[in-house]
Amino acid sequence: MIGPLATGLIVLALVIALVSLLTTAMNKAMGNVLLIALGVLELGLLVQAGFLIAALVRGEGPAETATLIGYMAGTVVIPPVAAFWGVGERSRWGPAVIAVAGFAIPGMVGRMLQLWQGTA
Amino acid sequence: MNERVDEAGEARSTTPSAATGSGTEGAGTVGAGPGRVLVAVYGIFALAAGARAAVQIARQFDDAPLAYVLSAFAALVYLVLAVALARGNRVLALVACGVELAGVLIVGTLSLVDPGAFPKATVWSGFGSGYVFIPLVLPLLGLFWLSRRK
Repeated sequence: MIGPLATGLIVLALVIALVSLLTTAMNKAMGNVLLIALGVLELGLLVQAGFLIAALVRGEGPAETATLIGYMAGTVVIPPVAAFWGVGERSRWGPAVIAVAGFAIPGMVGRMLQLWQGTA
Repeated sequence: MNERVDEAGEARSTTPSAATGSGTEGAGTVGAGPGRVLVAVYGIFALAAGARAAVQIARQFDDAPLAYVLSAFAALVYLVLAVALARGNRVLALVACGVELAGVLIVGTLSLVDPGAFPKATVWSGFGSGYVFIPLVLPLLGLFWLSRRK
């Protein structure tokens, strides 16, 4: 795994989560800014998945390969599903859905880093 | 950009999501507004617990059969809840919420009283302490949400 990319993804996801919470607190519906940010996050997660798959194919994977693949698949699936689910709700609770995804991604990427480094 | 919404309920009445709940009762109320957030959280927990259980059962089932089967069961309950809430099936959601609350309380207590029975953690071990107690709070939130709207 690439440390800087993973760190960037974690930071971006947390920023998205906080902006989403703020949007919910201000009683606003989803804006385009959040959607675009979510799209950028998804692109980054796809790139990370690509690098991971390439590394696994080369046989560089950690002991917990299956778990790592599970987390990887989860991170790629969550942002688009959250976007779909959040956009459908034109109230303050739309961005709240995005916040849930925004907090889930850092946890999952963090766990992937731990698995990759063999510290968990 | 962000459009101002005066009140959640007012904005909701014009959304297509409120109209998609054909067939089952109240999809617009149970699965909309804060209900959407519940669905999102349940969906992520179903994914997390399900993937974890699948890996554990496939690779090391003999280590802790009871814990792994319970993890899979928990994942199934979360999945049923996410789908029931999203589709507005209030009765099914209520039943699943009850099962979830019973599960986290029973497994949580057992895991503390008799740790030997649960050598490997499940989502419900220690009342969900491995998941910042979200598994304990979720069913209460769910029951509160389901009982609030009629």
